[in-house]
Amino acid sequence: MEMVIVAPPAPGKLEDLRRRFFATPLQALLSLISLAIMAFVLWKLLNWAVFSAVFTTSGGPEACQAAAGACWSVIAARWRIILFGLYPFEEQWRSALACVAVVVMTVLSCIPAFWTGRRIALVWGAGTALYYVLMKGGVLGLPYVGEEAWGGLALTLFIFVTTCLIGFPLAICLALLRRSELPWISRTTGLIIDGVRSLPLISILFTFAVVLPFALPQWMAGDKLYRVILGSALFFSAYQAEIVRGGMQGVPKGQEEAAMALGMSYWQRIGRILLPQAMRNALPATINQFVISFKETSLVVIVGFFEILASGNAAYGTGEWRFAYVEVYAFIALIYFVFVFSLSRYGAYLERRMSVGER
Amino acid sequence: MISTQSSGAAVHIENLDKYYGSFHALRNINLSVKRGEKIVVCGPSGSGKSTMIRCINRLEQHNGGRITVLGTELNDDVGNIDGIRREVGMVFQHFNLFPHMTVLENCMIAPMIVRKRPRAEAEATARRYLEKVRIPEQATKFPGQLSGGQQQRVAIARALCMQPQLMLFDEPTSALDPEMIAEVLDVMVTLASEGMTMICVTHEMGFARRVADRVIFMDHGEIVEEAPPEQFFTSCRNERTRQFLSQVLGH
Ligand SMILES: Nc1ncnc2c1ncn2[C@@H]1O[C@H](COP(=O)(O)OP(=O)(O)OP(=O)(O)O)[C@@H](O)[C@H]1O
Ligand SMILES: [Mg+2]
Repeated sequence: MEMVIVAPPAPGKLEDLRRRFFATPLQALLSLISLAIMAFVLWKLLNWAVFSAVFTTSGGPEACQAAAGACWSVIAARWRIILFGLYPFEEQWRSALACVAVVVMTVLSCIPAFWTGRRIALVWGAGTALYYVLMKGGVLGLPYVGEEAWGGLALTLFIFVTTCLIGFPLAICLALLRRSELPWISRTTGLIIDGVRSLPLISILFTFAVVLPFALPQWMAGDKLYRVILGSALFFSAYQAEIVRGGMQGVPKGQEEAAMALGMSYWQRIGRILLPQAMRNALPATINQFVISFKETSLVVIVGFFEILASGNAAYGTGEWRFAYVEVYAFIALIYFVFVFSLSRYGAYLERRMSVGER
Repeated sequence: MISTQSSGAAVHIENLDKYYGSFHALRNINLSVKRGEKIVVCGPSGSGKSTMIRCINRLEQHNGGRITVLGTELNDDVGNIDGIRREVGMVFQHFNLFPHMTVLENCMIAPMIVRKRPRAEAEATARRYLEKVRIPEQATKFPGQLSGGQQQRVAIARALCMQPQLMLFDEPTSALDPEMIAEVLDVMVTLASEGMTMICVTHEMGFARRVADRVIFMDHGEIVEEAPPEQFFTSCRNERTRQFLSQVLGH
């Protein structure tokens, strides 16, 4: 291919593409081959997921087995199990509302206008109370449903949100204790953090769910669900504490000195000067930690909870839909993706917002 | 409590000793500063200038001797320390503005949360002092968007918003480019002419000549020489002082 190079004007999109992928004959060939492979895969995928797929439940599992494509009818038939687990069928609207409550609570607390102590406490208090009353019932004419029957997306969201709500403040406390000037406090805290971090999450969940009831008096043990949440919050806080501490180390010493020189008290310096800057430094790692925790909620299945992944297993595991597991997992993956992707985008938004005024 | 009798010294330091581990950073310092007095402190690097003025608002703890600031002795009583810090403003070499707040918020936060002033009043005060340091138009910017000289003037305004009775300056111009030094010194000269009690660590000898009532020379943690500026620059007695002066004045 021969070309004449003129003094390059700002290249158009097409021109830019040509230069990147079709500069030499060999490059052009490789580009075409890759393009063909991608088109082939995309076509196969679309064909499976859309063109030859079965979307309605009218034909039952048989219609699916006859078709070449995906069997989305399993989702249509089984979505309630995936989203709500073993929650009683007639009461599942409550579980749906509870999900909405948690999502609304999360979205509200992501909006800067709600970042004052009173408002955030109000949002979280109302959100968790609403979730609890809706799920558990026993009041306001709602039939009682015990925690052992909670499941699906509703349970996953609840475990994730409460883990963060408890774990995050705990992480900040641990990080502050770890930088205490009294050596025995900072060393002990360091030991606790490192201890928790060196255990696998599964063993912590197992300890809290199964072993703890033997060690605690009956009245202190509470329901297994709350012990599990406490365990996962502890695990979360150990990692997040180190992230927060890293953020604090990035705040120059002069900041605290300036605050001291202005007469601010310890808590004013922490709350107004140190933490806002530390959290800004720690934001990318924090979002990362949230994403990991969201996905790790699936581990509660080992102590007998039917969160969304386990509910998915149940959805296809009952005989007639046994063959349609790919579709079920694809659906669950989509749900995970929606939540985790929103979380990452929110993190990116926060970073942009916070970088205002930075050099 | 802070006594407000105007007769007493603003700062009274007696036999002050300070150690960093086994390193003797300040040796038997004695210094008394009257209200309205302007003191310039100079000396070679590592001579303990910063350490001394940081002891005055307890950013450093002293190990021996007595420090009395505005009638209150500095000891382990946290209430005393907070009370003194409210009345003593400090300006740092590296500004130490709060980068996550606008210029205006930097100036408002301490009056609001430490002195419990209402927001409107704090804002009015902040705008007045920003006017005074000649950058009212930068109020809504963030510190990172300002030049070094502007940042240091904000830092001065921030300290003044607490309406302190005493101002400490620790080399306020030594992190600045030469063309910005003058704008900061101008603000400090104005402040001095209004009667503020000031203790300035600086090597700006022109400033010392114009405003200082006394110049103090420190070396190896000791006050070596203490004299009014004319005398200090023309007829200092000490060999080390002479050597230092020829270095700062002669370059
Ligand atoms: N936190 C500290 N730990 C140990 N030694 C210190 C500490 N701070 C200061 N020093 C030592 O104390 C001495 C006095 O330090 P100081 O900062 O007061 O000097 P300075 O006169 O302000 O010097 P400069 O002009 O460089 O600012 C120096 O020798 C320094 O090394
Ligand atoms: Mg210094």
